[in-house]
Amino acid sequence: MAFPERPAPGVGGHTAAGHAKAARVALTMDGRTVRAPEGTTLLAAARAAGIDVPTLCHHEALEPWGGCRLCVVDITREGWNGSCQMVVSCLYPVEADLIVLTDTERVRTVRREILDLLLARCPETPLIQRMARAYGITRTSYRPSPEPTDCILCGLCARLCDRLGMSAISTVNRGIGKEVAPPFRQPPPDCVGCLACAEICPTAHIPYDSSDGERRIWGRRFPMLRCPNCGRSHLTAAQADFWALRAGIPRPYFETCDACKRAALGDTIARLGLIG
Amino acid sequence: MDRIYRVTVERCIACGKCELACAFAHGHPGAPGVPRIHVRRLGPERGIPLTCFQCPDAACAAVCPTAALVRSEETGAIVLLDGHCIRCGLCVGACPFGNMVRDGLGHQAAKCDLCGGEPACVPFCPTQALEILPIQPAPVAAGAR
Repeated sequence: MAFPERPAPGVGGHTAAGHAKAARVALTMDGRTVRAPEGTTLLAAARAAGIDVPTLCHHEALEPWGGCRLCVVDITREGWNGSCQMVVSCLYPVEADLIVLTDTERVRTVRREILDLLLARCPETPLIQRMARAYGITRTSYRPSPEPTDCILCGLCARLCDRLGMSAISTVNRGIGKEVAPPFRQPPPDCVGCLACAEICPTAHIPYDSSDGERRIWGRRFPMLRCPNCGRSHLTAAQADFWALRAGIPRPYFETCDACKRAALGDTIARLGLIG
Repeated sequence: MDRIYRVTVERCIACGKCELACAFAHGHPGAPGVPRIHVRRLGPERGIPLTCFQCPDAACAAVCPTAALVRSEETGAIVLLDGHCIRCGLCVGACPFGNMVRDGLGHQAAKCDLCGGEPACVPFCPTQALEILPIQPAPVAAGAR
């Protein structure tokens, strides 16, 4: 079985080591001179400089996606005679001498419109209500969806599932019919019940139940593994199988819980006679 | 990377102050975190402090699907980039020593990061079982030059 390659350290300029090595370019952000490593995005540069740019679909661990469009900023240059271009900052790479404006009225208008539409789709979602309020919207100017949902279609769950190597869920259909679902809306055979999708979901939309002995998600039921020493159940059997395969580490590593592994380590040190 | 974190197990009296210091150093206001150092208690005033070995070829970093565990050039510790952690728990399973833990609050992985060079546990250890010491250059034998 082939697994997606891990990003090489420094890809997207996201590791500390990557930052140190890449050449830096100077650009202006909201009137301040900012130096950012070449190859990083405007969003990363803005956040490193302490400038707040709202996002919904962005996650540092995943490739930029440009889905939510909330991170739009205006860019311009000397000699453009004041004309601006609106770009998605999570995808646009830093360029020398660029002038970036992250909070102009034009940018705010676009973000407000996006949040207005999102609020029509998700009128009951606290995260969207909070973000919309920050842009002065308390009620959507559109007709709220008769079937409110918490899914904002940020795609984080599906992209993360891809990254982990399962690809159990994906976005399906297009336009107003778009949603996140397993293939053919059947319980996904590739799911291992790791809950990474539910954990990353910014609106806690993905339902799951993890009671003792069993975990249920996406219509599937996964028996839990129990630590052979203490009996605590901490992951599903399918997870242990998949991770042992993926990481090339013997399965028993994943069966024993971290507390029992520590205890074994302590006992080994004691047995070696290091202490009286 | 000019200092080394040293644990002298014979000195440990299992008081647990390091665990508390760690929990508060890594917690949020009003909510202490999960300690990254644990004392294996073997009896009255006998214990073994256990924390990350910062392995040269660390299993946790090798398995992380998002390269969230990277070695800090400053301290030599393997640090978790919070924003990169996707809470899959692979590192917790991969660490053979159980020194990768999950922070109960966010389910995020957590490990000893040497507090950026000034470990919070060190000043609280009453017996200097935990120390942070300058790295001594290897002594050069007389006449070796």
